[in-house]
Amino acid sequence: MIFFKKKKKNQQQEAKSNSTKGTLTFPELMKKLTASADFSTVKQTSLSTFYISYYKTLVNPEFLHRDLLPYITEMPLKNLDDIQKHLPLDGMVKSNDVHDIANKVTEGFILIQMNKGDPEGLLVPSLSTENRQISIPETEFSVVGPKEAFVESLDTNLNLIRKRLPIPEFTVKEVRVGKLSKTRVAIIYIDGIADAENVNTAIQRVNDIEYDHVVDSSYINQMISDNENSPFPQLIDTERPDRVASVLSEGKVAIMADGSPHALTGPTTIVEFFSAFEDYFLNWTLASVFRLIRLMAVMFSVLSTPLYVAVLTFHYEMIPENLLATLVASRNDIPFPPILEAIVLELSIELLREAGARLPSKVGQTIGIVGGIVIGTAAVQAGLTSNVLLIIVALAALASFTTPVYQMSNTIRLLRFPFLIFAQFLGVLGVAICFAFIVSHLLKLTSLGRPYIAPLYPLRVNDLKDALIRMPFSVQNSRPSSVRPQDKAKMNKKRAKEKHDIED
Amino acid sequence: MSQISENKQISPYMAFYMVTTMQIGVGILGFERYIAKTAGHDAWISVIIGGLLFNVLIWMIYRILSRENADIIGVHRNLFGRWIGGTLSFLLLIYFSSTILTVLRTYIEVIQIWIFPELGTPIITFILLGLAYSYVIGGIRVVAGLSVLGFFMSLPLFLLKYYALKNAHYTNFLPILDHSFSDLMAATKGVTLDYLGFELILLYLPFLKHPEKSQKWAHLGNLFTMFTYLITVFVSFVYFNQEQLQHTIWATLTLWKIVDLPFAQRFEYAGIALWLFVILPNICIGFWSVSRGIHRLYKIKQKSALRTMMFIIFICSILVVDRQQVDILNTKVSQIGFYILYAYIPFLFVIQLILGKGNGKGKGRKTSNG
Repeated sequence: MIFFKKKKKNQQQEAKSNSTKGTLTFPELMKKLTASADFSTVKQTSLSTFYISYYKTLVNPEFLHRDLLPYITEMPLKNLDDIQKHLPLDGMVKSNDVHDIANKVTEGFILIQMNKGDPEGLLVPSLSTENRQISIPETEFSVVGPKEAFVESLDTNLNLIRKRLPIPEFTVKEVRVGKLSKTRVAIIYIDGIADAENVNTAIQRVNDIEYDHVVDSSYINQMISDNENSPFPQLIDTERPDRVASVLSEGKVAIMADGSPHALTGPTTIVEFFSAFEDYFLNWTLASVFRLIRLMAVMFSVLSTPLYVAVLTFHYEMIPENLLATLVASRNDIPFPPILEAIVLELSIELLREAGARLPSKVGQTIGIVGGIVIGTAAVQAGLTSNVLLIIVALAALASFTTPVYQMSNTIRLLRFPFLIFAQFLGVLGVAICFAFIVSHLLKLTSLGRPYIAPLYPLRVNDLKDALIRMPFSVQNSRPSSVRPQDKAKMNKKRAKEKHDIED
Repeated sequence: MSQISENKQISPYMAFYMVTTMQIGVGILGFERYIAKTAGHDAWISVIIGGLLFNVLIWMIYRILSRENADIIGVHRNLFGRWIGGTLSFLLLIYFSSTILTVLRTYIEVIQIWIFPELGTPIITFILLGLAYSYVIGGIRVVAGLSVLGFFMSLPLFLLKYYALKNAHYTNFLPILDHSFSDLMAATKGVTLDYLGFELILLYLPFLKHPEKSQKWAHLGNLFTMFTYLITVFVSFVYFNQEQLQHTIWATLTLWKIVDLPFAQRFEYAGIALWLFVILPNICIGFWSVSRGIHRLYKIKQKSALRTMMFIIFICSILVVDRQQVDILNTKVSQIGFYILYAYIPFLFVIQLILGKGNGKGKGRKTSNG
């Protein structure tokens, strides 16, 4: 607590030191700027004299020489207003506010002054943005469907979404976050569909962020989530613009940060974490079955090893005779109790996964295969683990990869360890108790203030059409009520029905 | 006292889940023996009679509460004044607490008999109370959510009845109506404990949005309970004969034992573990309601009331040592519950009818709920 208070005090002091900057004078600013090697001030003496100052590393030189200098050197210009009139550019600002000038210049504006000491200057926007090319989504890859993924530039990303929703209601609110990084954060929603309360919650939470640098949207994800301590992600993190567009049309809100190739969407519910966007590209029967398989996989991934430990430690009566023989044969000369066996194997799988994730992809793959096969076989042959458990653990690891959202699959990875411990102490009852604890946590969890396990509780039968299974598009006629959209209907049900008649 | 704000209230249909999950508890695991003692193979009639009688009681409770637009504590205060009313509410809260203790202790007894004979009561009580605490602390919405999830998680257990039906003797039911009316009524009294629990609605009704709309859901909940019991009794009666049934303490549990799948058998272990989700809503709704009642009565913070209550229940649970005492606890609480429901509720109903004329409705509204 004391530590916390101290921290607060420090912050206040910092804030104070920030405000003392208010007395910054123009010469002081220029001194500060020229201290940096990449800042240059050029004196232009052609028909009239003026000074051009800019960061060489921020400003596009092509722009400077092709689009700016020719216009102002070829004419006799008396003052800044003249220059502003003659430049065929927009977004120019004439300012004599030192702070404004400081902010703009550090963002990539070119400063034009008539005299060196003049506190007044014309600011011309000229930002060179070095971008990565738009590439294929990697973590949310889909075989069919669009293959565009977000890049690190906010404007490019907004373009990717806006071209999918060419309507004036598509609204972008921009906020700057982070004292040092001054990251541009955009809150995106469709006006008239998204609930105003959700939008306000999102804007307010982003505005409330107090941190010096915000590098990625995942920072924001953690900072604005309802429960910071929960292992469950409370906003969906996606790299697919098509997914964002479709989520926005459901009345949700998206948050994007400049410099981050991911968008956050919310309010979200737990079932969304288990639905891949590819589900919408497949026929609904197939998509529903795959979704169910994915859910089963999650259950299997979390519960299989704990149940193995529980049953083999306490309730071997539960195993039928025929199966018991197999199990006994496999566990015959294992010197360890089931829990130790399970934890060692689970940890070694985690180890392989972690090593694979840190290494370059080609080496990582090899490590995974070599490690898996060699260590697994060797451990069984050495009599350290039973091969039945090896199969279970490997399958459980495989099953946890089926979760489409990466952050959720990490949660699932972690979730089985408390289950293992409870299983060791109280058998199947322990598994049930651990499950009950997690359910209690999930029931209390909210996403942007909306219930997290929404279509299940509060029970919304109408929303179940796109939860555990995905019903056909003809049934998807309303937006999920858990996000309280202003406009509930996705389509005109009556008109849709009229079009379907025999022989029509 | 102010009206409960809407974002803390729950939908009226939640009454369905809260009533059934409160009613179905530990009783169903072994109630066949008690009702078959007197009414034999006709005991299913008692189940129906009991269910219908309880529908009347639900109607009465709704009438009592809606007339005052308050919970039972407000009703007591309006009818009997601060002191007598307060005492009555206090006694009622003690009864409710003892039902929580009964459910909790009986479940622990089941665990100790069927799974872990050497598991110490304090440990498992502590864990279960901790679990309950984590739910109740989240408020009525979380507790209600638990009852919905508990309801759906226990539904698959119905499927296990199939294995008993494979070896059924349907003639066990014949001849129908072989027992006298007094036998049937005695069995109805025996079935009371299994229908008990819904009366907590006396405390949580103001937290339901549009209480008047929730009444039909409460009735439906009670009917669902009746339906569940009927299936349970039916399956147990066709599987066991009456002689066997008298020696089977946990008839429903014993039926899970015969389940035989290629990869698992002895389903009672899984069943008892899953039963946690039937027991937990019971305990949690109980704790929430009683701590809310204490908060209303004595202006203590609900959180501190909850902690104190949990401590007392913890001590009481340890003090109940063996099977006999659990049995006594069950019988006594069931008896008290019987009198409260069949005598006190109608009494309150009549008193309110008589006094209600003198007081008028206005007074009731003044001290509405909160």
